[in-house]
Amino acid sequence: MSHPVTYNEPGKRVILMGNEAIARGALEGGITLASAYPGTPSSEIGDTFSRVAKEMNIHFEWSSNEKVALEVAYGASMVGQRTICSMKHVGLNVALDILNPITLRGVKGGLVVVSTDDPSQHSSRTEQDNRWLGKLNDVPVIEPSSPQEAKDFTKYGLELSERVKLPVIIRTVTRLSHMRSDVELGQISKLERKPEFDWVGFSYRVAGFEKLFRRHKERHGKIDSVQEEFETLEFNEMKKNGKERIGVIGVGFSFTYVKDSIDKLGLGENIAWMKLVTTNPLPEQMVTDFVEDLDVVLVAEEVDPFVELHVKALAKDVNPEINLLGRLSGDIPREGELSHEIIDEKISEIMGIEFELENRSGLEKTKENLLFDRMLTMCAGCPHRSSIYALKKAVKEVKGDLKNIVVNGDIGCYGLAHAPPMEFEDTYFCMGASIGVSQGMQKFGIDTIAWIGDGTFFHAGIPALQNAVHNGHDIKVVVADNSAIAMTGFQTNPQMGRTATGEKVDPIMIEDIARASGVKHVEVVDPYDLEATEEAFKRMLLAEGVAMVIARRICAAVAIREMRPNKPPIYTVDQDKCIGCKICLNTYGCPALIWNEQTGKASIDTTLCMGCTSCVQVCPVGAISRGEK
Amino acid sequence: MDAFRIVISGVGGQGTLLASRLLAEASINAEMSVKIGETYGMAQRGGPVMGHIQIGGTINNPQIRKGEADVLLAFEPAEATRRGITYLKKNGLAIINSRPTAPVEVISGMIPYPKLNELKDLLKKVSDNLYYFDATKLAEKAGDAIATNVVMLGALSASGVLPFKEETLITTLEKSLHPRHLELNLNAFQLGKQAFKTLL
Repeated sequence: MSHPVTYNEPGKRVILMGNEAIARGALEGGITLASAYPGTPSSEIGDTFSRVAKEMNIHFEWSSNEKVALEVAYGASMVGQRTICSMKHVGLNVALDILNPITLRGVKGGLVVVSTDDPSQHSSRTEQDNRWLGKLNDVPVIEPSSPQEAKDFTKYGLELSERVKLPVIIRTVTRLSHMRSDVELGQISKLERKPEFDWVGFSYRVAGFEKLFRRHKERHGKIDSVQEEFETLEFNEMKKNGKERIGVIGVGFSFTYVKDSIDKLGLGENIAWMKLVTTNPLPEQMVTDFVEDLDVVLVAEEVDPFVELHVKALAKDVNPEINLLGRLSGDIPREGELSHEIIDEKISEIMGIEFELENRSGLEKTKENLLFDRMLTMCAGCPHRSSIYALKKAVKEVKGDLKNIVVNGDIGCYGLAHAPPMEFEDTYFCMGASIGVSQGMQKFGIDTIAWIGDGTFFHAGIPALQNAVHNGHDIKVVVADNSAIAMTGFQTNPQMGRTATGEKVDPIMIEDIARASGVKHVEVVDPYDLEATEEAFKRMLLAEGVAMVIARRICAAVAIREMRPNKPPIYTVDQDKCIGCKICLNTYGCPALIWNEQTGKASIDTTLCMGCTSCVQVCPVGAISRGEK
Repeated sequence: MDAFRIVISGVGGQGTLLASRLLAEASINAEMSVKIGETYGMAQRGGPVMGHIQIGGTINNPQIRKGEADVLLAFEPAEATRRGITYLKKNGLAIINSRPTAPVEVISGMIPYPKLNELKDLLKKVSDNLYYFDATKLAEKAGDAIATNVVMLGALSASGVLPFKEETLITTLEKSLHPRHLELNLNAFQLGKQAFKTLL
């Protein structure tokens, strides 16, 4: 069945996720290339393109990292193509190095950069607000409040970008990226532009170095022209009749809490409101018109007081007596995403009306005492679990104590190594950092293991590994290679031998990169063979110089999918042989292992077990074997 | 018209997301607006999953306010209590799969799973309108436990609270599900319907 983003039926209403709507908007805006690096909550933008790119006759790729993705998009822009590049908020930190020169040199074909921010850190290490990065580089930032706007603004963003020759950031938050609603489709646009390098626009040879190099002033001129356009842009809305004393500015997705609250509380004519979706540059005149004669203004935005700070500066001139409320004033919590509760309470407070929800705090407390948390765990048969199990045994034997080594982990499913019962990971920071930080520790005699996945190795691990060889940091690197970017939904990386759109290509092997980088000790093992893996880890720990073990076995979720329609072989615990020692549960802890309190014995949930055989190897009495008992 | 609000709760892998999407597709087929808010994080790995569905009305935000869900459609009894206490309106309708899905800590004997009657007694403090039945068993009867989500939709449909006709939902199933699995799913839908009716 074809994907709804491909329907060329203007006016048709379909259900789209915020991220899918962005992809659709790009198709309506006539892109011929899209690039991305996966990361929650952005991944579905690229996932959508990977499904429809061939059908829509555009190029889509999962690039090696966000910086490369943006460079690829920019290259296409310089030859006149419209492009979109999407990533999660922290990905823009990686891509910032190229975003900056793009803003100075300008774009040719429209270029939209999507930053999906993650207020409240649903699946990120930070709730960083990327609007600052737009401001830092004079990039227009547009914040849709619904999937419909996500689609429409992406299309507009491409057109604006091309007109003013600046990249444009479409900024979403998790709740918008992952919400679904009915969206009215527009016309898909096919721009068949002849690719031509814009020599006059970009070439030192043709335009001359000086003309291209110093362009800060020119960039200011561009962003000023964008501000002028934003002043009258219909995407921003204002409701004000001149009689209200109190107003609320709802920024981007935060507007949805504001508007629903105003409707719920039945405030109608008594409160002024503004929907502000163009946050950089701020349409200062429009905001001034809104705030200049109000007594109280609440600014609702996620996460930082980005707009509030600016409004405060404007108000100093036009309405110094204003009571400005928001994150900065402490009226809205400084951290975290907004909620109905926060906004309903604050608006009813400033309007001086009673609004009380049924108080269930007692019930909530009883519930918390009664219920368990569902902690994250690796899947049944996950090869990472087997790798960590073998690694712990090897470290214990070689180092004597598990605390004699610091395990610097990285970003991916294997980052769950810190969770019980494995509990063998000390740090993780950002993509590729495991290999880098280990070097500074190792320099001072603190033994380390860098624990990194295959996708992450390609993203940012390679320069760090080469640094270790070049500067003589004798680090030990374990690549938890499940040949999948599993955590974000099975996107591709350069080792997989196929592209985002399914083309077969030559795989680039991690062991080849390591050897070419001068790593002398490189071994590849299958983590499902626990003993061989443990031995390989021991050799790595005892080796001189930089040493690497690649523990390679396909992700269990992929393996099960590839088995279909066949089911995995059945393994069972012989109830007569099981001595109830719980070693399989407490030291290995696969979710397919079940403890029976009545019998005091373990068994296997055959609906979850995928037949990896690791527990067979873990059991000290040989009670687990293949076949039904 | 006010929106019709459904909270769907369960555990990653139970097909709650597909159930939300089918309800959304049915709404749009009935020419009603719809908004879905989903929280899934890393749900594939056994985490709690919740979907908020609002059909019709003039709302903008996909999240349902606490205590305002008209219906709780819960795929797991502990998750029913977890979300019901927070979101179900006073005496709102709750349709609950009574088959527990234990977390790793329970499976491996580290902590116990709460007693079902304790979970139920607590949820009763919010609503008397609770319907527990083993939806997983009915899905297995239809041919595959994976069809639990469609059993649940059948029960929801039988409750008669949905703001669109049952035919719309069935047509949506026929259009959206893989033809190879259709017969099994339609069967699961009927079993869910019957189960709800016998609970009345």
